[in-house]
Amino acid sequence: MNTQIVVWVGAISMLGLAGCTQSMAKAPAHDAMASHAAMTSGTKAAELRAGLNNLFSEHVYLAGAATSAALGGREAEFKAAAGALDANSVAISKAIGSVYGDGAEKAFLPLWRRHIGFVVDYTVGVAGNDKGKQDKAVNDLVSYTQDFGAFLASANPNLPKSVVADLVKHHVVTLKDVIDAQASKDPARAYTALRTAAGHMQMIADPLAEAIVKQFPDKFAG
Amino acid sequence: MGARGVIGAGSALAVIVSALAASAGPRPAVEIQTFQFQPAAVEAATGTAITWTNRDEIEHTVTSGDPEHRSDRFDRRLANRGATTTVSFTEPGVYPYFCDRHPSMRGEIRVH
Repeated sequence: MNTQIVVWVGAISMLGLAGCTQSMAKAPAHDAMASHAAMTSGTKAAELRAGLNNLFSEHVYLAGAATSAALGGREAEFKAAAGALDANSVAISKAIGSVYGDGAEKAFLPLWRRHIGFVVDYTVGVAGNDKGKQDKAVNDLVSYTQDFGAFLASANPNLPKSVVADLVKHHVVTLKDVIDAQASKDPARAYTALRTAAGHMQMIADPLAEAIVKQFPDKFAG
Repeated sequence: MGARGVIGAGSALAVIVSALAASAGPRPAVEIQTFQFQPAAVEAATGTAITWTNRDEIEHTVTSGDPEHRSDRFDRRLANRGATTTVSFTEPGVYPYFCDRHPSMRGEIRVH
């Protein structure tokens, strides 16, 4: 094993440890019991909650990998990250489809991909130092939060549009912080922002899981 | 008019009413919900008026054609939940349509 591989293996191990530490650290005190249940119980509700948390945090890490590669001009890495990010999008839409049916799955996927397109626009704007493009992308993303809120509110009456829109707006803001830090070549700030952005996704995944269970108690009983 | 005549007239009236009811039929309707036109495809007779109702808490449009090939037959905005619009189809044909705000939303009216 050459030195470079040892360094990479070490780095990957550290990332794994960081992920575990983050999982433990990010659970707020008021949610400790619920998080404990999600980790230890085998109920369908717990599986849903854990599954959505996994998919949404993965979304952020893969988006961060893609934007980092794009800003660094690493084309092959960007393509790979973008492909993995899209696979994650498909998995999220399938999760939605497993609850709300094929039609909702097909409607959700392009809607979800749309916000990734706007994030790409923002990244391109940052890379090219094009303030107009950045502003347009931010406006598109803010507008998108209303669409996303409307979709979930329509699917589930326990999810008010404005609440979902605000949560997604925070997702946009935290991801923008990641991109800005990556662009300024400040890795410490970028990775701190990445952890914050990924951790925030629990604020979307948990209420979504809870609202689904409330809507279909029989489906997720036991 | 004897009893038999009254019964005969009553039967004829019932047939006429029943025929009128059948020709009126249930009016085809499309619900816009969870960013989908439901049903996505509607079969209708020439002269049918079709009503769309927005059940989502966001603006949608009912725009004829598709995002790449718009037609100017109709372009209706349904500003928010509860908004409705009606379009009459007086010529046979296939009428694709989409939502201008969410181009992945597609539907089709087949008039015969």
